[in-house]
Amino acid sequence: MTAVPLQTRLDPIADWLGGCARGDRSALKAIYDREGSTLLGMATRIVRRREVAEEVLQEAFVQIWRRAASFDPSLGSGRAWVFAVVRNRALNQLRDDRHVPVEDHELEGYAAHDEATEDAFDRLADSDALKRCLSRLDPVRRKAVLLAYCLGLTHGEIAGRLGAPLGTVKAWIRRSLASLRTCMS
Amino acid sequence: MTEDRRTLQDLAGEFVLGLLEPDESAAFERRAEREPAAAAAIAEWRDRLLVLDAAAVPLAPHETLWARIDDALDEPASQAAPGAPPARRPSRLARFWNDLPVLRGAALAGAAATLALAVFSAATYRDAQRQPQVIAVLLTPDGKPGAVVDVFADGSSYVAPLTDVSVPADRIMQVWTLADPAVGPVSLGLLTEDGSARLRPAALPAPKPRQLYEITLEPDGGSPTGKPTGPILFKGFAERPR
Repeated sequence: MTAVPLQTRLDPIADWLGGCARGDRSALKAIYDREGSTLLGMATRIVRRREVAEEVLQEAFVQIWRRAASFDPSLGSGRAWVFAVVRNRALNQLRDDRHVPVEDHELEGYAAHDEATEDAFDRLADSDALKRCLSRLDPVRRKAVLLAYCLGLTHGEIAGRLGAPLGTVKAWIRRSLASLRTCMS
Repeated sequence: MTEDRRTLQDLAGEFVLGLLEPDESAAFERRAEREPAAAAAIAEWRDRLLVLDAAAVPLAPHETLWARIDDALDEPASQAAPGAPPARRPSRLARFWNDLPVLRGAALAGAAATLALAVFSAATYRDAQRQPQVIAVLLTPDGKPGAVVDVFADGSSYVAPLTDVSVPADRIMQVWTLADPAVGPVSLGLLTEDGSARLRPAALPAPKPRQLYEITLEPDGGSPTGKPTGPILFKGFAERPR
């Protein structure tokens, strides 16, 4: 794989991460202003509760600030790096939260939440390679991939949700990933 | 092609999807630090899937959030900030449980009962037992009926799972209710191996509609802390029988 200077030039977040590494808070604020609402939407989809998602965002931005120097532009875009930090923090929060009693609205939200995967797929632009390649997958397998990525479910939870055996779900996802990789290359 | 040997690409894809178990995930992250091919595979998967995150419905953060982030930057990284402890750190035991997603999955994958069965069961109890004050139908995380709890005026309860749960030999199901959020969940008792059980009266206020009930998987003998430590198998809210 070769370096991606063109992508870096078109990626202001990579420049702002450089600013963060030099201690420039306005660079972190620039990332926040540009991506904060999208990141909050993504984190809320995973942790479900908006106030928890805001805590996730707060902790993730502190991590972005402290770890900005470790960002390596030869390994993908600054935007992907920032999203990965927030996503990982949200997934950890979800795992920590699984034994905490929930509020009424969360229970009521189960059915609606399930539709979030279709919504995530529908919201992709038709010109996106990922949408084209996801649409080639069998709908149940596509759903398994989206339940994992968009909602942060585990293999076991996906198996329960889809009513399929655990081993089958693991194989579906593995084959779907291989097929996506071929399709998008 | 064998199914049990995962390639670098398989691992990187599952890592980015968030599907590796915590120890596997940490190991793969360390591998990426010393193996450029692994780091590149992760980066490629992140770039492939990023559009899904970027297309999330945006939500405007609370107007004070940036000020909170800005304040947090001043706190030394090495020292826990007294005013802002890391949100809800679970106990060591809870982390242990969270390391067992397969166990959790196995326990929940058996949830096949239908809502019709739940309604039928609740109606049958009503006829056969004393009139309960409230009935709670507890649901699995994917919204299927998992158990019914009848709570009587003397504080005793009758609990019946509606789905097969594969409880490991050294684990037990424990029933909880949240009568007062300030007190936190209170144990109603443990379920025997076959599941259904009549539980002795608990010293709690009379059960109210919309009161939370849940069943968690705990170490044999029940939670050592007196509060739920294991994964929630089923949870739901009480209603008065009509």
